[in-house]
Amino acid sequence: MAQADLLNLTIAQAAPRLERRELSPVELTEAVLQRIGAVNATLNAYITVCAPQAREVAQATERMIRAGYYLGPLHGIPIALKDNIYTRGIRTTAGAKILADFVPDEDATVAARLKRAGAIVVGKTNMHEFAWGGTTDNPHYGTCRNPWNPERFPAGSSGGSGAAVAARACLGALGTDTGGSIRLPSSVNGIVGIRPTIGRVSNHNVVPLAWTMDTVSPMTRTVEDCVTMFEVIAGYDPLDPQSAEVPLADCRAGLGRGVRGLRIGLIRDYSLTHLQKAVGDAVRGALKTLEGLGAGVEEVPMPSIHGNISAQLTIESCEPSAYHQEWLRTRPGDYGEDVRALLEMGEMYLATHYIQAQRYRSLLRREFLEGFRQVDVFVTPTLPFTATPCGATEVVIENNQTEDMLSAIMQFTGVPSLAGLPALSLPVGFDPDGLPVGMQVIGRPFDEATLFRLGHAYQAATNWHTKSPRL
Amino acid sequence: MKKDAPVTKETVERLCVLADLPLPPARRDKLVAPLSGLIAAANELNRKMAEGARRGVLPVTRFPEREEG
Repeated sequence: MAQADLLNLTIAQAAPRLERRELSPVELTEAVLQRIGAVNATLNAYITVCAPQAREVAQATERMIRAGYYLGPLHGIPIALKDNIYTRGIRTTAGAKILADFVPDEDATVAARLKRAGAIVVGKTNMHEFAWGGTTDNPHYGTCRNPWNPERFPAGSSGGSGAAVAARACLGALGTDTGGSIRLPSSVNGIVGIRPTIGRVSNHNVVPLAWTMDTVSPMTRTVEDCVTMFEVIAGYDPLDPQSAEVPLADCRAGLGRGVRGLRIGLIRDYSLTHLQKAVGDAVRGALKTLEGLGAGVEEVPMPSIHGNISAQLTIESCEPSAYHQEWLRTRPGDYGEDVRALLEMGEMYLATHYIQAQRYRSLLRREFLEGFRQVDVFVTPTLPFTATPCGATEVVIENNQTEDMLSAIMQFTGVPSLAGLPALSLPVGFDPDGLPVGMQVIGRPFDEATLFRLGHAYQAATNWHTKSPRL
Repeated sequence: MKKDAPVTKETVERLCVLADLPLPPARRDKLVAPLSGLIAAANELNRKMAEGARRGVLPVTRFPEREEG
């Protein structure tokens, strides 16, 4: 098979070929490593490439499969991990100079589970420093760029994972999501990413950003691949005190059920307001497609929805500042300017600001749970705009008005983060400049299965996810 | 600066003392404008959450599990 064809394989397409020994894990891993070599100078998607380890594991995998030891649909699949996820023996920088030499002596639970399933880790991806920001404009490891247009940003903080998956420089990746850090890069890179319910996937041995909102999850090209990775990493972990003992539904079994009868909610005066035109058009088009497949769409009021950005900024300011308190005093010059300023400001909120923000989360969650009596999921755009130029700190959404990037980027993704709900981002079109648009689907607590079901039905009826950047 | 966000150079200086965070004057000055915006928004949320109708709302400390799973 030609290298371009190999790289275009999804996990679901590669897995049966690997199992039947029509495709060698050595050949597939080598193709991915060559692709990384070809694109990483442009994209800066990887901080560390684990080529020797990946080649060694691929050879062992080939011997295992030849001997009849096939572990399942991730066996022999080259994947990437965001660089705040501990990997034993491989440095884990969290995109920070402060952790430039940190080599963990154990894996994160999610890394260990993926390895046990036979996945081959090809590298650690670039990210916004300590995950505190949404651009992946990293002052220590280089600016990460968007494969659809390298002059544009890949969003963040999991920008390297998003760019690598979109550029075919791995078949799937893990990101982390506190206020949108999986969904934002999934949206602007034209791929699929899910933020799980808090407690669904272990955070053990993942460098934290904000403890009460942090999550880990997959980023892939298709919903089906996302399910494959998600089912391996999800589930109770006694090493994570926030891990939930809630049974995981058979997400794969639900994929073929379609969306007939599914009730989709639009939050009144919120879901489709304050958007770039191309984003609104793409999301409305996706809703029409879903209606055509038998879903119903209705408006739902949510009186407390506004206030979410302030609550998110407050919590995301205060919690990281507590984690970084010692380093901020002993190594302030080792932070990039933007993260240093955010951490300094995080020390200047009052306790009442933080507590009121946490109370707001309860209120918002209560309104969502009430709304879920009326509908099965809620839909918003993932971002109100498409990829901005690298280095931009402001963005224009409408009426030629510039807005602060950090607040604008949180417009939609902060809501499920605050309410502790799962949310899926999937590609639903492109703007006139050929930049991807993503749609966010928010589900009930621990009901990731319904999000996958909707996403898979949509991808079966459309082909946005099959487009690839010309890089 | 918004009138409900009285963040000045002096405010930042005092907050730094309270937080035991010694910052040089040039750094403190840089924080005044962005902190004003953040505190103004946080104060607005404070007012909303302090209303009598919301007195019964508890802060999130840990998300519930089994009863909603």
